[in-house]
Amino acid sequence: MPKNNSAILLIDSEKCTGCRLCEMACSMLHHGILSPHRARLRVLRFDNGRCNVPVVCQACEDAPCIKTCPMNARRRIGNQAVITDEDRCIGCRACVYVCPFGAPVVNPDDGKTLTCDRCSDEDGPPWCVRACRDCGALKTVTAEEAVARKSRQRAEQARAAYPPKKRPAA
Amino acid sequence: MNVLIIGNGIAGNEVAFFLRRARPDCRITILSAERFPEYDPCSLPYFIGRDVPRDAVFRKDWQDYRTHRIQLVLDHPATAIDPAAREVTTAPGMRFGYDRLVLAHGGSLYIPPIEGIDRDGVHSCKQLGSADRLDQSGGSAAVVIGSGAIGIEAAEALKKRGYEVTIVELLDWILPALFDPETSQRLAANLEGCGIRVLTSEKVLRIEGAEKVSAVVTDKRRIPCDTVVIATGVVPGKALAQTAGIDVARGIRVDAHLQTSAAGIYACGDCVETVDACTGEDAMFQLKHNAVEQARVVARNLIGEPAAYPGAWAFARAHFFDTHAVTFGKTTRATQCELGQLEIIERDEGADYLRIITKEGRVVGGQAIGRFGDVIGLFIGAMWRKDAIPDIRANWPHIIRKGSPYPWTHRQLGESIGLKP
Ligand SMILES: Cc1cc2nc3c(=O)[nH]c(=O)nc-3n(C[C@H](O)[C@H](O)[C@H](O)COP(=O)(O)OP(=O)(O)OC[C@H]3O[C@@H](n4cnc5c(N)ncnc54)[C@H](O)[C@@H]3O)c2cc1C
Repeated sequence: MPKNNSAILLIDSEKCTGCRLCEMACSMLHHGILSPHRARLRVLRFDNGRCNVPVVCQACEDAPCIKTCPMNARRRIGNQAVITDEDRCIGCRACVYVCPFGAPVVNPDDGKTLTCDRCSDEDGPPWCVRACRDCGALKTVTAEEAVARKSRQRAEQARAAYPPKKRPAA
Repeated sequence: MNVLIIGNGIAGNEVAFFLRRARPDCRITILSAERFPEYDPCSLPYFIGRDVPRDAVFRKDWQDYRTHRIQLVLDHPATAIDPAAREVTTAPGMRFGYDRLVLAHGGSLYIPPIEGIDRDGVHSCKQLGSADRLDQSGGSAAVVIGSGAIGIEAAEALKKRGYEVTIVELLDWILPALFDPETSQRLAANLEGCGIRVLTSEKVLRIEGAEKVSAVVTDKRRIPCDTVVIATGVVPGKALAQTAGIDVARGIRVDAHLQTSAAGIYACGDCVETVDACTGEDAMFQLKHNAVEQARVVARNLIGEPAAYPGAWAFARAHFFDTHAVTFGKTTRATQCELGQLEIIERDEGADYLRIITKEGRVVGGQAIGRFGDVIGLFIGAMWRKDAIPDIRANWPHIIRKGSPYPWTHRQLGESIGLKP
């Protein structure tokens, strides 16, 4: 059984305050130092911090980075996260370029890319999720929950696009 | 069902292993012209340059074929197809019958008609066998003929191995199919900065040498060398199909399900001509991700799913030493003969360069060097969705609160093309 998660990392940017504790926690776990540049997720800040968007690898189902990596270094691991195999990565950044979110981070130490492994070696939730406990912008959900949420979202979007006609008062 | 696959490359293996996962019971045979398990041609320059050990070029090992019960027939290049008899003949003279045939034999290196091109010391890195010979050849001065992505990667690899390296390109700028001159000139300057000599608008006339190569003679000079690498492009392998009466154009012609003009014969990878997923125009991109996607469509059709292929997409990186560049979609040159208002959006900031090509306000291609590469994926998304750049400009700076279905993507796009926050 893979540890903690076959769970999906869910982002709610509305709740993100831009505190960047997630970046700290991530770099601490993976590199043993507090260094946002080495974190596998990034918080984009817009409008002086009024809008914050955590960006993290979505482990796309048909991930373009896996198909375009010339070294076959991008691979899916047991918990479904897609990671860079550092022994094969040559730092060419194909995965950065092809990612629709620009999620992969280039490690300043060796030029190889880093993406979220959902803390695959840890028990319990990923460290970024723990760090985000107060805001709740980052959460893990099961695959089923994620699907349910997606269809709820779609239904809401459809309702917004096609508002129900007001019935004439009887 | 008895499925026969010609070509043990990226496409052939993707078909075989995908098919095996879906159909535990069918017979799968791959005819291979080489004697290796599947390897990735994209990895070869990095093995030659000693960035990775030779092992790292392989995508499969022998055991994978056994476990998945895929019969791999080595050293058996297909030489003839008989669609009526449903039979393929190989060079050693064996015949293989099939119910369904998949053509996945890729392309071959284009060998320009240059005197002396068969001399000892003339190499290529299209296949593992040739890469091995180049790796073991030893030498100190190399001339790379052709400046496509493969030529640039070979040049970097040899430079890392201590060779003095010269690239000779016939056209006016390097990477001519992938980048516009504005981007290429910057890349050429970076190559020169790394100690690689770049000669453009120069034609190789002959390769000199008694037994071994001693020089390359161009229309402008004589370049002494002991090693030559041919990197003048890859031509789709279509002769095999053509002789069998299968329709070909630039490559093997296929329908939306990647079936050729002969019933029961499919084709995928570098040997096929397809369409551009964005524009619907004929396309011959010869890139790995397209080979993989096409192979999956073929496999799904083989198992009876009527999967249609949405088309190929152009995406390539150029990377050497500390230079990181990327290109996608169309170049300016490729759009020049088309109707429609073109706008080129450029950002030029020292080592970093961004060039986005828009037609009628829609992104159709782009190139980046350095940090602008980090946002290129957002532009690729904008191209797929056909986002209107004029709308992004008009709704700026309210783009995040209202005015865009992709608020932060468009916000980043806007900033990248120079709109101020
Ligand atoms: C040095 C190099 C670098 C590259 N870098 C990139 C890159 O960075 N990104 C990218 O997207 N693409 C890159 N490519 C292109 C990419 O490798 C190809 O698009 C991809 O391999 C195509 O897959 P394929 O299966 O169609 O062909 P291949 O992988 O070439 O496989 C075809 C196979 O068929 C075999 N064959 C040929 N004729 C016969 C026959 N008659 N009978 C039996 N077998 C036969 C060949 O031996 C070969 O094994 C690169 C290519 C090279 C050579």
